[in-house]
Amino acid sequence: MPKNKSYMFAEIADYREALEIKHLRTRNIFVVILMVFVMVFTLVYMLVSGFDLKQTISLLVGFLFVIIFNMSGLAYGRENYRFYQLNKYVTTLGIYVLTISIVFIFQSPSAITALFIAYAVSAFYQDLKVILISNLFLLFSVVMFMLNFPEYVNMQNSSLQDQIGIGIFFLAFVLILTISSYIIVKQKQFFYNQIALSRETEFRNLDLLIDLQKQVHDEDVDIESYYRRTKEFLEAFSKRLGIENAFHNKMQILLAMEKGEKKSTLGDKYPEFAKEDMDSLEELLIGARHKLRKTALKMSHTIDIDVKKREMFSETHFKSFNHQTDSLEIKIIAFVVFYAALKRGMDGFPELAEKTIHDALVSTDYFYYIDPRVMRIYQKNSEVFDTISKDILGKKVSS
Amino acid sequence: MKDFLRRVFDTEFLPMSEVRKIKVLLVMAFLLVITALTIPFSLFFSYSTFITILILAIFLVVYGLMAVLIQLNKILAAIQISILYSIGLTLFYTQGTSAFYAYLFFFIALTIIIFYQELYSYLVYGTIVTGLGIFYIVTHQSALVLAQDIPGSMYIYILILALFYIVFLMQILYNEKLYTDMNFDWVRLNHVIDKYQDDIFIYLDEFQKMNKRPLAYEDLDFQKTVNELAVFIGEQTKESGKDIINVFDLYLYIHEKGIARILENEEISVSMKKTANRLNKYLLNRRTDMFSMIVNFFSRFKPSEKYNQNRYDYSLRKFSTKGDEQVIALAMIYQYLANEVTGSDEWEQMKRVLTETEIEELFTGSDAEEFLTPSQIAFFKENLDLFVDYLGKKQ
Repeated sequence: MPKNKSYMFAEIADYREALEIKHLRTRNIFVVILMVFVMVFTLVYMLVSGFDLKQTISLLVGFLFVIIFNMSGLAYGRENYRFYQLNKYVTTLGIYVLTISIVFIFQSPSAITALFIAYAVSAFYQDLKVILISNLFLLFSVVMFMLNFPEYVNMQNSSLQDQIGIGIFFLAFVLILTISSYIIVKQKQFFYNQIALSRETEFRNLDLLIDLQKQVHDEDVDIESYYRRTKEFLEAFSKRLGIENAFHNKMQILLAMEKGEKKSTLGDKYPEFAKEDMDSLEELLIGARHKLRKTALKMSHTIDIDVKKREMFSETHFKSFNHQTDSLEIKIIAFVVFYAALKRGMDGFPELAEKTIHDALVSTDYFYYIDPRVMRIYQKNSEVFDTISKDILGKKVSS
Repeated sequence: MKDFLRRVFDTEFLPMSEVRKIKVLLVMAFLLVITALTIPFSLFFSYSTFITILILAIFLVVYGLMAVLIQLNKILAAIQISILYSIGLTLFYTQGTSAFYAYLFFFIALTIIIFYQELYSYLVYGTIVTGLGIFYIVTHQSALVLAQDIPGSMYIYILILALFYIVFLMQILYNEKLYTDMNFDWVRLNHVIDKYQDDIFIYLDEFQKMNKRPLAYEDLDFQKTVNELAVFIGEQTKESGKDIINVFDLYLYIHEKGIARILENEEISVSMKKTANRLNKYLLNRRTDMFSMIVNFFSRFKPSEKYNQNRYDYSLRKFSTKGDEQVIALAMIYQYLANEVTGSDEWEQMKRVLTETEIEELFTGSDAEEFLTPSQIAFFKENLDLFVDYLGKKQ
């Protein structure tokens, strides 16, 4: 059994990454604003306090490098999202280098806590790798200053208990910051995961609806009729505009595609249509499980959807067999009904072997939908579960 | 402990209430360590022995209170107490010593408040802690600012603390907005999915009837399987097997009588009604959480097309950028909606076809922009008569 749990639907990881990238840009903009603010404050203070001009200019160059790099990354990120990812690492490294430089230039205990600002700014990305880099930098800097430059952390002339206090509470702070950031990043992932899970569930439910419609009613959309009527509509529309019907060829290609003709064959027949044109046309098919049909089905199901304020952040939408308000007896019944239903099978779905059920239950998000006590018993006794259900249900499922 | 750590590492799978519980447990563990460290440190504080012992005793009592609140599942109250506890510890340090490490305590207290990611808690307690921190810096500057320090170092202390507060305030505000928007989308999407699954339930029900297969909850073999498995788990958890069987009997009884009749029945005890109400979401005779989870589990094993970046885009603008192709797409969708069964009717039969008015509302209403661009909506409005005449319901 893999230690790390995955999601039932593999597609969730892909969409979650897409969501991360979508929000990374906004987070990056916030970081740039914060960097500009820190730069202005630092430089104004250095100029007013009469710091060496060379040091002031060096810091200015450092800040400008990180800010301009970020801005370029933001611009190129529209073309390739990896620039956003590069930005977060470069910014994290940059802000720590700049902060450590500030501590060295200021040579004052008051500047040491600027490291916390560096941490706070990089924490804005809410990214585990960034947090790891940030933690290492923070820990390294704190230890380095305590051991080699005790005067920067107010340790030089302090009593022994003060020195121990500073050391312990610095480390305590790094520890709570690390735990906090880790859980906050995971919480963000939970939101992304839930959105991704619902999107994939919707996608598969639409497929299922189309399949069931065909199986139960034993009929599918009448493609010929669809194209005949659409052609008539397009002719009437062209007539209204007083132009020639420009839709003819595309309709012919679409109808051929609906009937299963390959794009390559159609490309030979209609050389004026490039491969990209064919791909674009393919999106307009209405038969089988094509996207346009799903869109129509989705549209029809969005009528009268009303989200009430009390539903926001409510856990009633989080489906599980592990609700805190349920007693253990209810949790046990919920799990065994679920398990027995899987073993019994469902018309219209493939039959599942015990190993398939077991692996999905213990290695995916379903693991967390079940009370840990019940899950422990299932994990230890899955063969007993299998035997009991096979004996009674008489299924010939392979183990 | 091992289980707890595993849950910490897999927090992304857990709902908000579970995560809150984990957070408060982690904070409590942290506070326990800090409190333990405080005992030797307090020997050097400027308080009298009596006051020191009294305050430490209060901390221990409050800690016990937090533990009780967690046991009682009063997580929100435990969160508030843990924040107040960390502020109390900060005050204990900052009023007992002027050492540099007391200043660090303001950052520790702020981080604990940030950890909970609750906007109002942060606005209230975070502001108080920052205010207290600034007050501490001003009143203890002689201890914090060294003789040979840089000019205005007191202001640097203040500014860094204030900036730390502001950066995390911005982060919490941004997250609050982002998560609220995402939650709205998520809840809305779940409503749509519920509607799909209402229809899927009807189809599967018809399918079972066609195949002359008994419904699961009426199938004696199914009932026996559930019974035996439940008793088996009951034996392992040392729960009374009889209690579990009673719950299962009630579960089957709800299928037979319906939840409304059970709740109305005055002869049934309040506790049984409560149990019935909680079992309601796991019934098999309509679209419930149980049905959704079973269907979602099975659909995992149905073949699906490969992931691409437009997999979940249902907006016509993503289908094609060409005007003529968008007209074709609009025509196809209109025709589908006007002629195909897209849902269940009032008799729960999959026979509902949308009316002209409903389709017009879909194409021009407030939710239309999820699927159509403003120009497509305008095109539809201008040519509504053609849509109705040529693509409307077949006579």
